[in-house]
Amino acid sequence: MTLGLHLAVLAVLAALQLVLPPFHHGMVARVMVLAAYAIGYNLLLGYTGLMSLGHAIFFAAGMYGTGLTVHHGGFGVAAALVVGLAAALAVGAVVGVMTVRTAGPAFLIVTMMLAQAFYLATLHFNELTLGDQGFILPALEVTLAGRAFALADPAVKYNVALVVFGACLLASLGLVRSPVGRVLVALRENEERTRLLGYHTGRYRVLAVALSGLVSGLAGATYTLLFSYVGSTFAGVLYSIYPLLWTLLGGAGTTLGPLVGTLLMTYAIDVTSGITDAYLVIVGAALVLTILWAPAGVVGGLRARWARWLP
Amino acid sequence: MGPLAALTPLLETRGIGKRFGGLEAVTGVDLRLARGEVRALIGPNGAGKTTLVGLISGRLAPTTGRVLFAGRDVTRLGAADRVRLGIVYTFQITSIYRRLTVADNVAVAVQRRRLRRLADWLAPDARGLAREVEAALGVVGLAGVAAEPAGALPYGHQRLLEIAMALALQPALLILDEPTQGLAAAEIDALCRLVRDVAAGATVLLIEHNMAVVLELAGRITVMDRGRIIAEGPPREIEANPEVQRAYLGQPSATSS
Repeated sequence: MTLGLHLAVLAVLAALQLVLPPFHHGMVARVMVLAAYAIGYNLLLGYTGLMSLGHAIFFAAGMYGTGLTVHHGGFGVAAALVVGLAAALAVGAVVGVMTVRTAGPAFLIVTMMLAQAFYLATLHFNELTLGDQGFILPALEVTLAGRAFALADPAVKYNVALVVFGACLLASLGLVRSPVGRVLVALRENEERTRLLGYHTGRYRVLAVALSGLVSGLAGATYTLLFSYVGSTFAGVLYSIYPLLWTLLGGAGTTLGPLVGTLLMTYAIDVTSGITDAYLVIVGAALVLTILWAPAGVVGGLRARWARWLP
Repeated sequence: MGPLAALTPLLETRGIGKRFGGLEAVTGVDLRLARGEVRALIGPNGAGKTTLVGLISGRLAPTTGRVLFAGRDVTRLGAADRVRLGIVYTFQITSIYRRLTVADNVAVAVQRRRLRRLADWLAPDARGLAREVEAALGVVGLAGVAAEPAGALPYGHQRLLEIAMALALQPALLILDEPTQGLAAAEIDALCRLVRDVAAGATVLLIEHNMAVVLELAGRITVMDRGRIIAEGPPREIEANPEVQRAYLGQPSATSS
């Protein structure tokens, strides 16, 4: 039933591309990539109980790892993606080790500072990264079964985003239902108890941060490949706050929450910014109301009321 | 196992001590537990009992002294590694995963023991795990509430769940920290039966204030006061010991003489 639901969600997303008008077609493609980022964030916040305010470091590690190798090294899509993933995994492991003894607010602050250091580094190494101005990637292609697909083509963009999102969604579902996921949830609920059941809790924390970083980095790498831009904005604090908001809105600790939250928030910003310049006020108010009514987020609220079986 | 193994104590502390700032909670304690015995650890509040078992389980690092388990020096091992050797601690203040189901609580414990190699983690035997969880809950009589959230259980059942999680680890040394605290009389009887069953396969170190429970279960009693062991022996001897009465019952020496 659970797997079926997730596959049905992916099928709906796949079918949507046939009916969506061009603007929304592009919008949903972008939402899917950002939702993959939120899935990475949710692994840590929702399933391990660690609230980070520095996830942009992972998103940007994937983005720069991929973007810089394309820009300076002339790498192809696959090779650049591998570099981006390796960069994100490495940064994730380092952040995990550096934060292993912090809990609660201390974890939040240390991750924020590390991300800020990374952000400043992207500005500092200006010749390499072109700082906050950033750089545009050349037209890229992927070859599949002997056919070349241009990533700039909207249909290709949509389906690449769908594949990446689907992979992240199913991987996160698999992880949280696995024995490792059970240990991570146990960490979230009661770290001391988990240690006294014989688990090396520090190692699991490092693993969780590294996996979360890997998924976030995959989203960053995909984003840069599909939208052909690399810039330090994506390493900034706003891109650390976004996945937190998306995850909380959709429901931390639910596998479908990140998609729901990212979709709602992206459209909320889009609709309200068409009405008024002060759109962030409306979005903020909507967020406050959601948290008041459904502190566990949209999917979390559904689960508490009607569907206890939701993962 | 060599012929000497039976003579080696399962657990031995040598001059173990713990200082918190200016407070010396435990001072130079030498404790030896033989394999298979049920030992009670008693003493007035603040005597250092929970600190001592914290040093044994590895939750606390000692200021002085060493801990040996089955002849091996485990002083430098962390709590998780000691659990893996078989030193299992149940919390004085019930520590369970309140938002998870009763079955999931036990599953976290069971899978730690079952999944030892990487291959076990990649292809876990979900059915075998569920069977063992059910069996572990059956032992403490909680099989009927397996799907309930643990935090919704009555207090006495939460204590039993805590013990079920400990038993699921198949301890060699089970440390029970005031297991009967807050339980009703019928629940205490059930718990005593459970501990006796456990003692058939494990060594038990029991911190307990309820003297009826101590006298019923323990083969030997160790008495602590102000961080030190002041007496040790079979229940009869301990009951009759005037120093113990003085420390434990808080009687001034004038009235006992």
